[in-house]
Formats: sequence, C-alpha cells, structure tokens
Amino acid sequence: MKLEIKNVSKKFREKKAVSQFSMELETGQCVGLIGPNGAGKSTLIKIIADILQTDEGEVLLEGKNISKMKREIGYLPQYPNFYEWMTAKETLFFMGQLSGISKKELIRDVPIILAKVGLSDEEDAKIRTFSGGMKQRLGIAQALLHKPAFIVMDEPVSALDPIGRREVLNLIQEIKQETTILLSTHILSDAEEICERFVVIKNGMKIEDTTMLDLISRNSKPVVYLEITHNDKSWVDTVKMLPYVKDAEMTGHKVKITLDDVVKYKNSLIQNALENNVDIIRFEIDKHETLEEIFLKLVVGT
Amino acid sequence: MNSLAVLMKKEYSQVLNDFKVIWLPLVFIFLGTTQPIMTYYLPAILKTLGGAQGISIDPSMTEQTGGQVLAATLGSQFDQLGIMIIVIAMMGLIQSDKSSGMLAFILTRPVTVSSYIGGKLLSNYLLVSISVGIGYVASLLYIHFLFTGIELTLMITALFCYLLWILFCLSFTTMLSAVLNSQALIALIGIITLLICRMLVGLHPVLDVINPAGMSKHAMNLLITGSVGANFSINFFATILWVILTVMFTYHWIVKKKFQPK
Repeated sequence: MKLEIKNVSKKFREKKAVSQFSMELETGQCVGLIGPNGAGKSTLIKIIADILQTDEGEVLLEGKNISKMKREIGYLPQYPNFYEWMTAKETLFFMGQLSGISKKELIRDVPIILAKVGLSDEEDAKIRTFSGGMKQRLGIAQALLHKPAFIVMDEPVSALDPIGRREVLNLIQEIKQETTILLSTHILSDAEEICERFVVIKNGMKIEDTTMLDLISRNSKPVVYLEITHNDKSWVDTVKMLPYVKDAEMTGHKVKITLDDVVKYKNSLIQNALENNVDIIRFEIDKHETLEEIFLKLVVGT
Repeated sequence: MNSLAVLMKKEYSQVLNDFKVIWLPLVFIFLGTTQPIMTYYLPAILKTLGGAQGISIDPSMTEQTGGQVLAATLGSQFDQLGIMIIVIAMMGLIQSDKSSGMLAFILTRPVTVSSYIGGKLLSNYLLVSISVGIGYVASLLYIHFLFTGIELTLMITALFCYLLWILFCLSFTTMLSAVLNSQALIALIGIITLLICRMLVGLHPVLDVINPAGMSKHAMNLLITGSVGANFSINFFATILWVILTVMFTYHWIVKKKFQPK
C-alpha cells in the first residue's frame, strides 16, 4: 500500500500552515516528520488523518481519497483524550466497534493488545486515573486495534516524562516491525532512534527528504579537535598558515581544525604540533555532526 | 447503522454516568406538580398570609378545570424553567466532544457524521421526552386528585404536540452546541432565542404559523378547548421543517470540519 501526499496546502486565515507539500510513503517504512514548533507538522498529520480539509491538493491511499480509507489508518493524537468515565477496556471496545470490528473479534483481540501496551492490569481502571504515559499507550493500542496499514502519530512522546517516553519508544520500536509508521516530532534523538527516513518541514514546506545515513555522510566534515594548554595558544596562528589547513578556530582550550583531508593530513598535523612543543591533552577526529546540528543548520541556517 | 447503535449505547452510558437520567426526570416531576398544587392552595395561602385588606380573590380562579391546569403546567412551568433546564442539560452535547478532541478522534474512524448526530439526537431526545412525559403524568396525577379529570386521548395528543416543540428545542441547542465553543454562550443564546419564540406566540397569525413554539400553544388549546388552534397542520410541518433545517446545519458544520479550533 502506498500513501501519496500531493501538493497539499492549508491556510488558517492568512497564515499558511502547509504549502505545496508532497511526499510518498511505502509499506514497511518508518518516517519521521521533523520540524520546529509551528512548522506545520501537526496540521499535516491532521490532514493525513482526515481531521482537517485541505485547501489544495489531496492525500491518497492506494489511489483512493483518504476519507474513504479510514479503516486503513490508525491515528494517535498529540494529547489522546478519551472519555474519562470509561475504562481502558470499554474505550477499546468503543473505538473498535466504531472501526467496524465485530464484538467476537474484540473479545479475542482486546486483551492481547492491552498486554502488548502493558495495560493488562489497568484494563478495568477508569481513564481519569491514568497518567500521560498510560493514556499515550492506550492511544497506541487504539491505533493498532483495527490492524491498519498505516499508523500516523502526532508527537507521540513529546509530552511525556523520561519514563513514559522510554515506554512509548520501546513500544513503537516493537510495532514498527509490523506496520508503516509516520510520526512527527521535534525531539531529534527520538526520531533518530526509531526512523530510517526523515522529512524535514519548515514554514509548511518540505526542505529535506532523506535517510539517516545519507544525511550524515553528506554532512560529515574533515574536522579534527585538539585540546591544548593555554600556553600554546599562539600555535593556532601557525596552524592556520599550513597549506592543508582550511580553518582553525579556538574556543577555550579546544581547537577545531578543518583539514582538506583528514586521513591524509592528520599525522602531519600532529607532527607539526610536536615540533612546536605543543602540549596535547586530547586529539579527536570528528566522526560526524550530530543530527541535532544538521537539523539546526537546515532549519535555522542559511 | 452499526456505528449509530454503538454511539447511542455510548450516549446512554454517559447519561447514566453523569446522573442526568435521574435528575432530569426529577426536575420535570417537580415542575409538573408545582402548578396544580400552587393553583389549588394559592387561595388558602393568600388567606393565611394576606393581611392586605380590600383584595378579594376571583372565585373563578379556584374553579379551573383539569385541562386548564395541565395547560398552565405546559405554559408556565415547562415552557419557562423547563426549557432553560433542557438547554442547560444539553448545551455540552457536541461542544464537550469538540473541546476534548473526541469529535475529531471519533471521525478519524469510519463513522459517518449522520450516525454521530443521529446517536446524539435520538438518545437525548428519548431522555428528554421521557422526562417531560414523567413530569406531565405527575402533574396529571395531582390534577386528578385536586381538580377534574382529563380525557385520555386529548391528553396524549397534547403531549405529542408538545414534544414536537421540545424536539425543536433539542435540535436547536444541538446546532448551537456544534457551532459555538463557549458553554455560557450556548446557554444564553439558546435560552433567549427559545423564550423569545415562546413569547412571540399569539402576537401575529402569520408569525404563529412558522413559529415552532406554536406547537406548545396548540397543545394548550387542545387541553383547554378540546381542539387545536387555527393553521395547526401548517404549523406542524413548519416545525418539522425547522427541526430538519437545524439538523442539516449541524451536519453541514461538522462535515465541513468547521468545528476545529483556530
């Protein structure tokens, strides 16, 4: 099954929330929708979940409009709200029946799914007694219940404390094996952990659609870091003069040196340092920039 | 149809859960019994309390027929406090689902908007009409003891006429609940509009024909004179048309997703 988002635009009064956004999603993928607050992530997710109407463009699942394919979509809102007077089990029966699942199947499946999200002991507890993490897990159970082809999650872990976050991340990691997931987040380490593919959105526009590996290899730089003592500060100026050094920058005791080629010149650099009697405390080759740095550059950068 | 049944079942458990199923009938029992008791004992009360000299009580007041008292129950109790209470009890019908996000959530499932609205209206109309009916019967019991009896068919027809007006009150409140976001505003606009409708009755014949509150007047006429007022059938269809219009407006509002915040 294929999810196509075609040239979707959405305006709220005069403010453009999403403009001309297109992407495709294949079965089995896990895609992270990343962007700063107010970039239009939630709006886009809501359009995919058919909660909001588009001004332009359309969302197709297997070539059919999404509003005719609701059975194939599982949706987890940012703050899943259920009827507080219902128990966890009643909620799943209610949502399940609305999805068109027969009572017989529900009697069989609900305990299984509650066990999967770790709520078996709370199945008869009222939702008003639930913590945020428990509600989120119930939300995931509800999204999984009708075995949809796609699960769409709006900031599944952003509002949770570290424990709840861990619980939900592990759960997503587990269900990832069986379904296609699209999730939005502004917490990059979460996206990094779960997803292979990233779509970066800024001001309602797609500015990057790439895989983790690609993103990192493209952004890795020939940089080495040296930590030296204060007395050797002047050496930095000498380094700048070297033919194979592009740039050298000193912050505190740390020198960031950009080389033409790390593998080729790193030994020469150390040699030069030794010749100048520099007291090296630490020498480090930068593997790559973190996703966070890449993200900042993409979103804030020039 | 299946999801309609599921949504109705959910409405019922909700109504049970917030005890609406108990207090709404109780309120109408109270309102229903107030009128005959007050009418019966008012002369006695005035006599014992009233020191004012020179005021005499019109003897015809104490000689009301059962039909007149029951009509007064509808006109002065149900149509005033009763309507206010119906609006207040029903103002959150869709509004609370909107504000909690449950409406959007439910609509991400393969549920049609018509079964959502249908579930709300059917189940709550049943609750309201049973409450009104119980209050009506309670009033009737006292009238039987304190005044004259009323013909059974007359009494039942009058109740059905009245319940049509109540249906409009409910569908109108539901529409406000879908469109507006503040409960206070829903209550205010709902109560004022419905009370104005009720007050306009009898002001002008043309206005009476299209006024849904005319059904209440017809019910009262039935009880007092034994026959409905003029233009009953036109008023009947006009009221049904009003109900359909409000429901369609609600439907349109939700289908077009205008209920979203922002």
